[in-house]
Amino acid sequence: MSRWWRSYRLLLLWRVLRIKAELPMFVILQTAFSVGIIFGFSYLLPPEATHPDFLMYLATGSITMSIITIGMVIAPQGIATGKQDGTLDYDKTLPVPRMAIMMADVSIWSLASLPGLVAAFVLAGLRLDISFQVSPLLLPAILLVMLASTAVGFGLAYAFKPMVTLMVTQLLVFFILMFSPVNFPADRLPEWLQAVHRALPIEPMAEIIRTTLSVPAGGVSPTPFLLVGVWCVLGLVITYRVMARRV
Amino acid sequence: MLLLIENLTKVYRGGFRKEGTVANDGICFSVAAGEIVGLLGHNGAGKTTLVNQIAGIAKPTSGTVRLSGRDVVADPDFARQECAFMPQAQARFDGVTPRQAIEVIARIRGAGRAAARARADELIEALDIGHWAKTSGERLSGGVRRLTSFAMAAAVPGRLMILDEPTNDVDPVRRRRLWEQVRMLGMTGCGVLLVTHNVVEAERSVDRLVILDKGRVVAEGTSADLRMGSAGLRLEVTLSLGALAPDSPGWVESSPLRQGQRWTVSLAQESAAAALEWAQGLRKAGHIEEFSLTPTSLEDAYVRIVDAGIPAEVERLAPRGDQHV
Repeated sequence: MSRWWRSYRLLLLWRVLRIKAELPMFVILQTAFSVGIIFGFSYLLPPEATHPDFLMYLATGSITMSIITIGMVIAPQGIATGKQDGTLDYDKTLPVPRMAIMMADVSIWSLASLPGLVAAFVLAGLRLDISFQVSPLLLPAILLVMLASTAVGFGLAYAFKPMVTLMVTQLLVFFILMFSPVNFPADRLPEWLQAVHRALPIEPMAEIIRTTLSVPAGGVSPTPFLLVGVWCVLGLVITYRVMARRV
Repeated sequence: MLLLIENLTKVYRGGFRKEGTVANDGICFSVAAGEIVGLLGHNGAGKTTLVNQIAGIAKPTSGTVRLSGRDVVADPDFARQECAFMPQAQARFDGVTPRQAIEVIARIRGAGRAAARARADELIEALDIGHWAKTSGERLSGGVRRLTSFAMAAAVPGRLMILDEPTNDVDPVRRRRLWEQVRMLGMTGCGVLLVTHNVVEAERSVDRLVILDKGRVVAEGTSADLRMGSAGLRLEVTLSLGALAPDSPGWVESSPLRQGQRWTVSLAQESAAAALEWAQGLRKAGHIEEFSLTPTSLEDAYVRIVDAGIPAEVERLAPRGDQHV
């Protein structure tokens, strides 16, 4: 067994032990988000306005949100706390490759969003009574969005000081929920905000989940996969550079 | 030599309108295999910065750190493999029991599953923390956390163990058990670098001491070496309630130190008889409650070295550090 793989496996075990006590809280938080989107958003509009397309946006949006909430909000907050309490510094003293530390962290936070994701699926199916047309690309799509949102969240947490990270993630969750084309189509936003979203990873993440759950006539487009992939690599590069740096 | 540090300097860059900070300034010292070396110094003396560079998690501005002859500034991965580090910050292992924490870290540090379990059993028994071995981390007291953190490092100690304030919050009985383990590690050839503020404890536990002040080595030697530079004896009197501090007699060799009702001076060995007679007189007159005349402690020597400049005798004991004084 290579040193890298052994280190990765044991670091993952170390993280599972540390995170398992908090896991129920993540599930509650993610489920609350899903409930908020699926039930709360449908109350905003009169019943006659709930077009099937809009319901599909709500259903798939709640699933995207449940992943993004862990990756871009909870995971960076976990890293910020680890920076403050010395946990991150302690892990750096261990005789393991730096890349194994990063990948173990990314893996554990990505996997932490799984139980809440299942809850989001169940809720969406129960409340909205819609039938999904699932693409075989759904599983890779979910994995990519999990990995990319965690990588971007880590990039934020490593680049900023802990207090700044906490504030930025709070703002981010508000921005994603209200001003991002996750739960509604992009053309409802002003043009300048649509332009902003063309440069951000949120819209393609939502599109990946939506189009693999409800495959459009033209098939699943590879472009959002590519965009999310680029953001994922960018997040990982920033994280690795800051984490492996000796100050 | 196991660890050899030469002219190590660490400067933290300043920011906007902020000057840079020299955390370590031309530090030189060494640790031999099996030797227990104490690193003493006030808050901000540069101790933690120094050990972070040895452990390969911080990079020096200049100078060299050699571990078993290898340059760990160029090869920090080697330092991390050879050094077991117990950090000053309380280890956080919420949801994890001490047994799990010791075992997993032992395995990460290279032990097999069975060896890690056996070593965890051994350390839990030796440190007498079996009662909490299966208690989740967030429910443990500070002392048990600290002992667990020590065991996490001692499970697979490598060639050099770095312990940063290992006994904070630990009760006196288990402190002794911890020091016994440190000595046993020393006997097996493991070098130990102990960072502490606790001068009394350091004196009992280490082979040699290095004193840091403002990022520099200001003295180095055994506890006896460092005490040699002091006047020899220490007279401490407890003043009666409401009594004024006495005038210093001619044989007193230091400025009196007053802490509450305690009044302390140092004096030469030859003045012992005169000091005894003087103190007995004060007690008879009711000016003082009690007094004690003892050899100068390492703590006195340490305070004098750091606060009142370095006498020539002690400076001579720091062959590598004296050039920076």
